[in-house]
Amino acid sequence: MLSEHFGDPEARTLEGWEARGGYSALRKALGESRKDIIEEVKKSGLRGRGGAGFPTGVKWSFMPKDSGKQHYLLCNADESEPGTFKDRELMRWTPHQLIEGCLIGAYAIQASHCYIYIRGEFFEATQILARAIEEVYEAGYAGKDVLGSGHDLDITLHLGAGAYICGEETGLMSSLEGQRGEPRVKPPFPAVSGVFKKPTTINNVETLCAVPHIVNNGGEWYQQWGTEKSTGTKLFCVSGHVQRPGNYEVPMGFNFREFIYDVCGGPPDGRTIKAVIPGGSSVPIMSADELDVGMDYEAMISAGTMLGCGSVIVMDDTTDIVKQVRRMVDFYAHESCGQCTPCREGTAWAAKILRRIEDGWGTESDLDTLVEISENMTGKTICVLSDSAAAPITSSIEKFREDYLALIGAGTVETARSA
Amino acid sequence: MSSTAAKETVSCTVDGIAFEVPKGTRMIDAAARTGVDIPHYCYHPGLSAPAQCRMCLVEVEGAPKLQPACTAEVQDGNVILTASENALKAREGVLEFLLVNHPLDCPVCDQSGECKLQDYTAAEGRPMGRLAEPKRIIGVDDFGGDVLFHGDRCVMCTRCVRFMREVAQDERLAVVQRGDKAVIDTFFGEGLEGNIWADNVVDICPVGALVSKDFLHKARAWDLDRTPSICPNCTQGCNITLQVRDNQVMRLKPRPNAEVNGHWMCDFGRLNYQWVNRTGRIEAPLVREDGKLVPMSWSDTLLRLANAARGQSTGVRSVVSPYAANEDLGAVRRLADALGGGSGVFRVESGEEVVLPGFPQLALRSDRAANVRGAELLGFSRAGDSTGMGGLEEAESFDGVILVLGDDLEDASADFGQRSKLFIYVGHVLGGAARNADFVLPSTTFAEMEGSFTNVAGRVQRFWPAIQVPGMSRPAWQILGVLLSGIIDIPAPARPGDAFATLGDLSPAFGGMRFEELGAEGQPLEYSRR
Amino acid sequence: MTNDDGKVRKIRPRNPGFAGITGEFDLTEAQIRGTDYVGARPLDGGHPSVAGTMPYQLTTRAPDLPLFEGEYLRRLEKVLSRYEDRRAALLPALHIVHEIRGYLPPEAMDEVAERLLLAPAYVRGVATFYTMYNLQPLGRFLIQVCTNISCNLCGADEVLREFLEQTGTEIGEISENGLWTVLEVECLGACGFPTAVQINERFFESVKAEDVPAILKRLEAEVPA
Ligand SMILES: Cc1cc2nc3c(=O)[nH]c(=O)nc-3n(C[C@H](O)[C@H](O)[C@H](O)COP(=O)(O)O)c2cc1C
Ligand code: SF4
Ligand code: SF4
Ligand code: SF4
Ligand code: FES
Ligand code: FES
Repeated sequence: MLSEHFGDPEARTLEGWEARGGYSALRKALGESRKDIIEEVKKSGLRGRGGAGFPTGVKWSFMPKDSGKQHYLLCNADESEPGTFKDRELMRWTPHQLIEGCLIGAYAIQASHCYIYIRGEFFEATQILARAIEEVYEAGYAGKDVLGSGHDLDITLHLGAGAYICGEETGLMSSLEGQRGEPRVKPPFPAVSGVFKKPTTINNVETLCAVPHIVNNGGEWYQQWGTEKSTGTKLFCVSGHVQRPGNYEVPMGFNFREFIYDVCGGPPDGRTIKAVIPGGSSVPIMSADELDVGMDYEAMISAGTMLGCGSVIVMDDTTDIVKQVRRMVDFYAHESCGQCTPCREGTAWAAKILRRIEDGWGTESDLDTLVEISENMTGKTICVLSDSAAAPITSSIEKFREDYLALIGAGTVETARSA
Repeated sequence: MSSTAAKETVSCTVDGIAFEVPKGTRMIDAAARTGVDIPHYCYHPGLSAPAQCRMCLVEVEGAPKLQPACTAEVQDGNVILTASENALKAREGVLEFLLVNHPLDCPVCDQSGECKLQDYTAAEGRPMGRLAEPKRIIGVDDFGGDVLFHGDRCVMCTRCVRFMREVAQDERLAVVQRGDKAVIDTFFGEGLEGNIWADNVVDICPVGALVSKDFLHKARAWDLDRTPSICPNCTQGCNITLQVRDNQVMRLKPRPNAEVNGHWMCDFGRLNYQWVNRTGRIEAPLVREDGKLVPMSWSDTLLRLANAARGQSTGVRSVVSPYAANEDLGAVRRLADALGGGSGVFRVESGEEVVLPGFPQLALRSDRAANVRGAELLGFSRAGDSTGMGGLEEAESFDGVILVLGDDLEDASADFGQRSKLFIYVGHVLGGAARNADFVLPSTTFAEMEGSFTNVAGRVQRFWPAIQVPGMSRPAWQILGVLLSGIIDIPAPARPGDAFATLGDLSPAFGGMRFEELGAEGQPLEYSRR
Repeated sequence: MTNDDGKVRKIRPRNPGFAGITGEFDLTEAQIRGTDYVGARPLDGGHPSVAGTMPYQLTTRAPDLPLFEGEYLRRLEKVLSRYEDRRAALLPALHIVHEIRGYLPPEAMDEVAERLLLAPAYVRGVATFYTMYNLQPLGRFLIQVCTNISCNLCGADEVLREFLEQTGTEIGEISENGLWTVLEVECLGACGFPTAVQINERFFESVKAEDVPAILKRLEAEVPA
């Protein structure tokens, strides 16, 4: 559904998109009441694809009605979670799918302006989206009095500048306002006081891309895929040690083992899978024997991990788990905005300890220290980046303790010198 | 409607004590009511609250996560536990994290003894650190003005940045970089130089990251005696503490007063205290005998002076200092009235007024002495120019009684007072024309006595003695009060409150006010009549 | 591309590759990257809705060109018209500086501050928060190698080492010929095509260590004589 037109350059253009049924959903939506649209999205069971999985229709219904204030819709296109590359493909192949979703979303929440915040590194996707937005303005799908409906719907493309934390919703708002991309304490929640202190809703690219389909076909239609609580299809980004990496659109609840082995071809020849991260670097690692689980929010939680944004990172038996965990923690240390003490200091400290263990100079008590640092980083900060950094540490020490122990006491003069 | 809404309260329990607070009260303020000081860094009552240090986390029964007490508002029925196992563990964690890159150079750190990292770590931190990694090193940076930055000691609370942004509204500080590379900095070499509010960042820095160059390595915090006082350096009357070691004022620090200075004070006032420590003070009363000033006991001096003054009726010309207390000025006025009356002047330096934009009721006022308003109310008028010079013409050649209080007479002509019948000089140092006096009476400065000033907004505020008086110096109200009782047979004031009580007779604005009721934060003039 | 059970829609491992290799697509590089669709964008930013999103021109640097005049000023004004707060134009304005100067010199930050009525220290605080703003001059080609987990699993460290070796630089340095600066960066959002390398505004994907010399050659050839 979402990815139907990937690899089809003609679907990119407005003309091509219209020929494929594009903007019929927008026309339909503008003829309906906002309440009905939100109801339909609620009925579909669509949940946010940015990671947290919050029901989109419910989120929309938090917006004040007829507040008389300016409302904003933000589209989160900051995709920076390691392992994730779905939004980029959605934007570069089907920019109009996203724009249509944005326009409908904005209409539904009484926002006359939608900002698409796209990460600065996505030059290609940015240029393609920019062209597409110019096209919709030329065609009258955006701007004043869209399609004669009496509603103004503006879209502005806003370019980030390199900061993972701007993907966090309040960090994104800070950044859009021209500040350091520092997350803010909630409350106040965005629906009350978001960007420019106005009621705001923020949705992921993939979430908004699903909206036109739901508007066209109805919420019930969307429910035909997936499980009871995790409906619809979702793009999964597969990377790492796997025969056929790439983006896969799969109905929610699909068997994870089958997905990795049959759909993605399993590990490279002659290797076996050691570990899998199912939802981007922020979620707990699974070991190879835990893969018999459905690819949906609930099943992943009961398996002790999370679906996250559906970024499947496969690691085979050649993987140095400690090194990869250290690399992930390095990432969080680099991307921590630095406001919260536990996150700012904890990520960097944990990274240093992991580096020392990797170099062979760790001790067993370091593992206890790491676990405790992780605990002190979890649930104690403004945003959950800190928790995300802790997740791979604790889960890997729990599941791959042997890998750590094997390195302990392995220090050599060389590693000491390079450390 | 709105008044009932404002009074709406919610009930809560903090560490077992149940009470009510107005709706919207932050947990940290609610806890303070029961005497519980929840550890905190980024929160400061005069600034916005970003809830970023995560030090103030408390447990609220039923809440899934610990709550930042600095922003979380009390909800009806909240059971708040500030010292539950979870809360203590979280704070211990934060403290350990803060020490990861902290140099722990307490022995050479000026903040030592009044440092929130030291205090909280001693109270709630881990007994032993676990850090085995090298620390990050930033070093020392001169931020300009009076401010020195020890980057390694910074706990990233961003109070300094928020002060410059929100209160000084001159955003010269910023967090640059991010994550554990984040550091406070200015725009390249620009610094804080030229902003007269900059030193407030030193006050609010909870650790020794921002320190005062003026105070650098001068004293240890635990050696300082702290006395509530009023800044003497402009008519704003910022509430301060005088911090003293070895009978020397080492620094001034602002003392919160929401009506006057909030939490702040200006650098001009703050750094202008050396004169209080001035040596070469007059230490004994001096009486002219055979053309020479000779030291004498107080009783002999005042007896002779009373005799000399009694019966004088040619009137008085007085010159007073606007740094003098209300009580002192009142005593001058009463003495002058007893001796036939006559005009009095004061001279004051003035300059540009500088408002603190984020707290506009505070400004460095153009008159650079604390008690101009008091002097005016008590019948003295302004003379001289904006450098505090000139304006002595009338007194200079007066042929009656001349009474000078606290004015150094630096620029007076050499024959000042030569034509007078009686020239009384009450002051701190003997120089220039003061040497022409018949009686020289050593008085105390505001730092050595109890008394009050009246600020520009008409607020009467008390100060207390912080340092010992030099030699035989006495407060002017006492000297002149005893003298007056020797002239017209009325009781001499025994305490400053007695002197203050007489002010209402001189100026109705002081009517009905009681010294004891001024408290530590002062009261507006005529408050009892409002 | 539907599986037998009608449930799986698979997006082939789309591999646009580099130097004309278009992976599994039967498409030209321009079609994959959308360059034919985008076309050339006018210097004044085009429609206000997208005026703040011009590509970095790291290769065309003009140390003396005034920052906010003519088309650039018009572009900034268009950007300003899209937000209710002037400050929101800060990131776009810094992008413009970067586009013209190739990095953010202090004087330029100062000028941006003045334009947007912000404090210079504030601008510096913001500029240093974001990794894409380079605060020092760079080589003509900024080679950013992702070494994050997905790329790392597939040999990113070797790719990075090869770039450093071939350009004869250390991380962050400008090579002697002024062409190269190599940086290690975080996930570029192309994890399925490891190793992802971003060179100025272009993505090079599925880069293996052995591809490095060819990439550098291709870039060298683009430098006008
Ligand atoms: C550290 C961090 C980074 C995030 N990065 C992204 C991101 O790059 N893209 C995204 O869509 N959501 C990201 N999120 C999730 C957003 O905060 C937010 O939940 C999401 O944009 C909401 O949209 P949705 O309801 O459509 O999922 C991130 C969250 C955190 C805590
Ligand atoms: S948890 Fe980390 S990234 Fe999130 S606000 Fe705090 S310091 Fe910033
Ligand atoms: S310098 Fe002091 S006030 Fe400023 S952030 Fe650091 S610790 Fe806080
Ligand atoms: S404003 Fe006036 S009273 Fe306050 S500190 Fe400055 S000089 Fe002293
Ligand atoms: S004081 Fe509450 S988080 Fe800093
Ligand atoms: S991990 Fe390299 S691009 Fe995502």
